[in-house]
Amino acid sequence: MPEPIIQVSDLVKTYSTGEVEVQALRGLSIDVPRGEMVAIMGPSGCGKTTFLNCASGIDDVTSGSVLIEGTDLNTLNDDRKTEYRAKRMGFIFQFYNLLPVLSAVENVELPLLVSGVSPSEARERAREMLNRVGLENWSGHKPAQLSGGQRQRVTIARALVNKPAIIWADEPTGDLDSHTADEIMSLMQQLNREQGQTFVIVTHDPGIAQRCHRIVHMRDGLIEREEVPAGATAAGEAVRG
Amino acid sequence: MDSLFGIPLTTILIALLAMVGAIFGVLAWIWWRNPLLVKMGLRNLTRRKTQTVLIVIGLMLSTLIISAAFATGDTVGYSVTNAVYNDMGEADVVSGFDPDSDFATGRETLLQSDVDAVRAGLEGNEDIDGITGILQTPIPALNPEERLSEPSAQFVGVDPESADAFNALITPDGTNLAASDLGEREVFVSERLAKDILLEVGSPLQVFVDGQPTDFTVAGIVRDNALTAATAINSDSGQPAGGVIAPIERVRDIIGEPGRVDLLVLSATGGIRDTVDLSDEIDEHLDVIAMTEMIPLDVIVTKAELVGFAELAGSLFVTFFLVFGLFSIAAGIMLIFLTFVMLAAERRGEMGMARAVGMKRLHLTESFIAEGMAYNIGSAFVGAVLGLGVAWALITVLGSVADDFGLGITFHVNPTGFVIAYCLGLVITFLTVAISSWRSANLNIVRAIRDIPEPEPFKGKDRSVGALVRGVLGVLWLLLRITLAVVSLGLIPLVRWLVTRIPPVRRAWRALNSTAARHRSMGAWAIVMLLIGAIATWWGGWIGSQAFAYTAGTTLMLLAIAMISVYFGAPPRPTFGLISALTIWYWLLPLPFSLLFENGNGYTDPLDGFFGFFGLGHEPVVGNIEMFFVSGVCITAASTLFVIFNADRLLGAVGLLRKVFRGITPAIRTAISYPLAAKFRTGMTLAMFTLVMFSLVVMATLNHNFTQLFLGDNARGGFDVRVNPNQNNPIDDLRAALAEGGYDVESNIGGVGHLVAGDAQVRPAGEPDDEFFSYPITGVDDEFVAASDFQMATTAAGYPDAEAVMQALVSEPDVAVVNEMVFEFTQTANFMNPDNMFSIEGSVGDLEDGAWEPIPITVTDEATREERTLRVIGVVDSAITSGIVPAWIAIITSEETATAVLSDPGQAFFVDAAGGGDAALEVAQGIESTLLERGVQADSLQQLLDDSTAQQDAFSTLFVAFMSLGLVVGIAGLGVIAFRTVAERRQQIGMLRAIGYSRRLVAISFFLESSFIAVTGIGMGLVLGGALSYNLMTSPEFTNGQTVDFSYPVPTILIIVGVAYLATAVMTLIPARSASRIAVAEALRYSA
Repeated sequence: MPEPIIQVSDLVKTYSTGEVEVQALRGLSIDVPRGEMVAIMGPSGCGKTTFLNCASGIDDVTSGSVLIEGTDLNTLNDDRKTEYRAKRMGFIFQFYNLLPVLSAVENVELPLLVSGVSPSEARERAREMLNRVGLENWSGHKPAQLSGGQRQRVTIARALVNKPAIIWADEPTGDLDSHTADEIMSLMQQLNREQGQTFVIVTHDPGIAQRCHRIVHMRDGLIEREEVPAGATAAGEAVRG
Repeated sequence: MDSLFGIPLTTILIALLAMVGAIFGVLAWIWWRNPLLVKMGLRNLTRRKTQTVLIVIGLMLSTLIISAAFATGDTVGYSVTNAVYNDMGEADVVSGFDPDSDFATGRETLLQSDVDAVRAGLEGNEDIDGITGILQTPIPALNPEERLSEPSAQFVGVDPESADAFNALITPDGTNLAASDLGEREVFVSERLAKDILLEVGSPLQVFVDGQPTDFTVAGIVRDNALTAATAINSDSGQPAGGVIAPIERVRDIIGEPGRVDLLVLSATGGIRDTVDLSDEIDEHLDVIAMTEMIPLDVIVTKAELVGFAELAGSLFVTFFLVFGLFSIAAGIMLIFLTFVMLAAERRGEMGMARAVGMKRLHLTESFIAEGMAYNIGSAFVGAVLGLGVAWALITVLGSVADDFGLGITFHVNPTGFVIAYCLGLVITFLTVAISSWRSANLNIVRAIRDIPEPEPFKGKDRSVGALVRGVLGVLWLLLRITLAVVSLGLIPLVRWLVTRIPPVRRAWRALNSTAARHRSMGAWAIVMLLIGAIATWWGGWIGSQAFAYTAGTTLMLLAIAMISVYFGAPPRPTFGLISALTIWYWLLPLPFSLLFENGNGYTDPLDGFFGFFGLGHEPVVGNIEMFFVSGVCITAASTLFVIFNADRLLGAVGLLRKVFRGITPAIRTAISYPLAAKFRTGMTLAMFTLVMFSLVVMATLNHNFTQLFLGDNARGGFDVRVNPNQNNPIDDLRAALAEGGYDVESNIGGVGHLVAGDAQVRPAGEPDDEFFSYPITGVDDEFVAASDFQMATTAAGYPDAEAVMQALVSEPDVAVVNEMVFEFTQTANFMNPDNMFSIEGSVGDLEDGAWEPIPITVTDEATREERTLRVIGVVDSAITSGIVPAWIAIITSEETATAVLSDPGQAFFVDAAGGGDAALEVAQGIESTLLERGVQADSLQQLLDDSTAQQDAFSTLFVAFMSLGLVVGIAGLGVIAFRTVAERRQQIGMLRAIGYSRRLVAISFFLESSFIAVTGIGMGLVLGGALSYNLMTSPEFTNGQTVDFSYPVPTILIIVGVAYLATAVMTLIPARSASRIAVAEALRYSA
């Protein structure tokens, strides 16, 4: 098996809501090899999104370790963690989370600008990325002027524009109809194939999960079981070794 | 204070209480009909505490300003009224010698026989319980023990037999003294004199008449009042002076004028404050006796008149502060509107859901009104109370200035004013809340639930003429309903509600309203605006000659044209950009022409120019202080539109800064994009800031330039020291008198000018039907002309410059110069009625320098009644009439001419110090101490100027500070927005942090966003206020032809800008910091 890009060991996350403490993750461990497209599934409240947040460094962990490309995120301060996310990670959210006041191309170029890329180069790369997701004619439109599928394509373009090593996707098709969801998933598969990036996808949709290389089922803050979808490609086999 | 804007306060109070009653009636109605709506509204109060605090601050400011204005006016009115009662005491009618009376021939004063005749004539009159004669004349007084003197003490003779009825001789602790108890060489002195020259009971005192001393011992100290001293009310010079009181016969002996009486004073039956109503009646009795007994007597003043003046002074102060507070009140109203629009935006989804489950628009409006009034009722009270605090601070500053005039200011609050301020604040806020609630509730359910932006409001769907006509009718119907509801204080809507309980009527009513609402469109609103604007322009320009209606109407028409154009498909950006630029230009005319041609070459009113081309031009329009506010609102509205519709282009320049600030490029991107996306919100905040900054810049700049204009070096007229000889100790030759006293004249004194001054009867020549009016005449001698440096605003043909004019005064017979205040235009502009005073037609601006023929005026010789014609050959510069030398605010002619027409002129000397201006104070002190026994008063003109400038600066600071309250509104507005945006964009902040925005970048983005609005608003206010100030101060109409060396008060403006920006920065740093500290994972889960 190739060296994992994500190594999570004994991950515990406890939320304190007043006098009550809720253990969202109870010592979860998982390795994700570079280039794998892994789906995280499970019932509501099982800790999927918490796992994604903790593993990507946008939330602090209570205990355990998260190594991304060999770097322990817990040892980084907030600025370093932010910088790491900007350069090495991309995010796709269920409700797109695009800035409504910026056009599609402006939304896409934001991570590049944050990473210090010059505005002209950022604009060029953002346009290229929008072309890749099929939105070359929509770059000047604001999110309110785009359909749900188009908005999610912009989100994907924004997640990928910085050529990150890992893309974290939280219910990327949750707000889309089945046809559009299928299109979006195909797009992610294509990008995964072409660019070899690692995708961690939290989803409720078995159809989406079946198109990944591996499915991880969670329950009560732990991994209940893993499965390799029947339709997993040879590429997936290669990734997993 | 009994009235405001001419309306009795009681009427205002009743009307406002009725309105407040109607408002509470509406609230009770809402509660009764649907308590859930009220609960919904009230529960929102505690949702966001910081925001609630800012909203309360915003809501209370209007009330605060109104309350402060009322309390200030009440205090001034109360203090002046107190001064009147203190000074007048039991005296109700004060009369004196009337030189114009037919019975005055051969006399210069009243006599004791006149007093006796009046007493006999009024014997048995139950309205009068006291009559006395008083002699008052200025004399020098000296405390020989301390070598301290008062050159112009008031020597007062009281009649021991009749003065006691007036209780005027009261010690500071309230004991009544009697003049009859005074020994042969004893006097009472007033408190002011005792304090000035350190007198106590038993102190020796010398008074000088014709240079001869008379020695007295102080037997008692009494309060200063109109009968015992020169006070703020009865002083001729405006300066208070202490009194020396002795029995009248003794005073007559000393001054050598047997029988002389200066004042005949009557007391009405009753106390001090309950006799005001009798003044007129006594006045009439006195007139009758004067006629029957042939006494040259005229009433100088009555207590009723003075009390009326006090009321007027209070009312004027309220008006003044209210007018200057209008900017802040307007900004406050915008803040309230903005706040509620933002609250509505925050709850758009909720409101959409509420509508979806069956709530009507009216229900949402009612819920908002309930919430707004919950904020309002408390904040208006807090505002009204804090207003008292602001007024107290203002009064503290005002009191120190008033002290110089001998007027004690005591803080006083009239409950009526306080209740009016509270009610007015409540009503203003209610109306604003109601309108904003109505607007907010007007939403599309699906768009609200799905958070889809509302469509472009200006573009019309059906652009047919028919649709537009129907829309206009719909708008007019709505305006009619609102007008009737407001005018009837809610009575008509109540009747309507009752009537529409009948089902068929209700159906018809609903059908009518829904039809009207369906047809209303922005195009229809624009047409109505155009009509209103056209009517206002026509009335203001061609009928009433009122600048506010004319200019505001034109502005309204321009904006309406833009709206109509966009309605019919014109692109919004260029249309609004062009029209708003035109509007700004219209207001800032004659700029830029004034920079290219003299006085802008007449390019001031394009509309009048257009109609004038066809011979349909209008008379010049007249504007007053209200134009300050109207111009501010119109310019601000236009410039805000311009910025909002062009900001993305203008910000292209800011985009270039990205290269400079590369590290924060993403922050700049978001900081600019958000304000531009929320045009309404940004526009309102921008307008608030601009309006307040505009008002502050204009106020500070005008004050600064007027102080320079009136109180610059020119105001000294080329002299350094003014010397006023005592009326009882005239001086013929100042140099000789000083030399006689041992003063080194040669070393200290350069030129010495002499003038005589008094009042004569004057009217324009060749106008036999015109009435003569009393007006001051001043005559100057050769040396005065030689030593003076009087600048002229304009000179007549044949007199090329000021020097030629001044020389002609003494070389040509019967020529004169006047000041701008004799011109009709200036009198009208200064709230005076030219029909009631001597005036010359037109304005100074009409007189082109060196090109007008001398203006003849007729002056009547007081003694011989012969008419004499003078030719006016120049108008002196405003600086000469700044007020530091009252004798210069006169018709100035040669001493020979003035002496011929004045029966008993006063005199003054003006000295050019040999050592220059720096030696002025020393020379003045030297002259005064040398001529101490003659009661000469000498003042350094520079010192007088400095004192006036200090008072002017104190007033200026006072007004700027008062108007700065508006800044609080602007800052609170930015705070509301900043806090709101953090809550609104929580999820977006989470996303930004997820994709790599550091905390610092998020904070910078929020901070820059607020700064963008603040800096733009400050910049716009500076530019527009600066431009308008320049226009005003370089406009001959505004400065009455005076040339102003225009400059900006840079330090003051820097302080204003600095304080504004720093306060804004502090206010926005807090939400920016809290935005940066939002936990990413939580924010991503957040649902607003």
